[in-house]
Amino acid sequence: MSRKPYVRQMSKTSWFLTHSRYKNYMLHEVTCIFIAIYAVILIVGLFRLGQGPEAWQGWLDGLRSPLGIIFQILAFIFSVIHTWSWFKVVPQAMRIQRGEDFVPGNLIVGVHYGVLAVISLFVLILAGVA
Amino acid sequence: MARSSKAIPWFLFAGGGTATAFILPVIILVTGLFALFGAFSGALSYETMQAFIGNWLIKIIVFGILFLTLWHVAHRLRVVAHDFGIRADTGVAIVVYGLAAVGTIATIVALLNV
Repeated sequence: MSRKPYVRQMSKTSWFLTHSRYKNYMLHEVTCIFIAIYAVILIVGLFRLGQGPEAWQGWLDGLRSPLGIIFQILAFIFSVIHTWSWFKVVPQAMRIQRGEDFVPGNLIVGVHYGVLAVISLFVLILAGVA
Repeated sequence: MARSSKAIPWFLFAGGGTATAFILPVIILVTGLFALFGAFSGALSYETMQAFIGNWLIKIIVFGILFLTLWHVAHRLRVVAHDFGIRADTGVAIVVYGLAAVGTIATIVALLNV
């Protein structure tokens, strides 16, 4: 073959900066980095809990360190981005048919936010806020 | 409707994405507000958490959440690696799924030791 196909020049590492749709995609994809680190912190916490009061206190002190606070603020922001982007595509992933029609997407998303509110309130009450 | 040939990875990805979407913001809020203002310090005390995690139903729920979270992020990290230009997909897959497996076992060991 002598024909040389046209290959669009595109950076392999920063391609997503070329379009706002790609930026949005990367924004919800990178949430997993923060969620992964936070999950590791929780698992370490479970180990510390089994090792006794001093070990547990050390873990709590780590949460309260400047680095711990900065990370948790970022983790909270990215976890909310994950929730928002996840719920947004639920109507495409979950098609519920009732009779002839599909249940409207807005209703399905609304129910998800309702359940999120109930679960969040339940955990806060469990933790002793209310 | 097209059927996926990768039922197990998709179940873990979707299940984990759903579980984290519902539970993680409020969990980070609790630990984060504790870190910032000392709120919930009673709930996060050693005795309270020992009794809480000591409950078998709670152990199973905590395991379920962490298990799904680990496999959700493993799958997504694999895609993110590709998106940032790392094209060694087999190696990446071995690393991320291997770490998820290690994390799953670590979660079980940690929960059994409480």
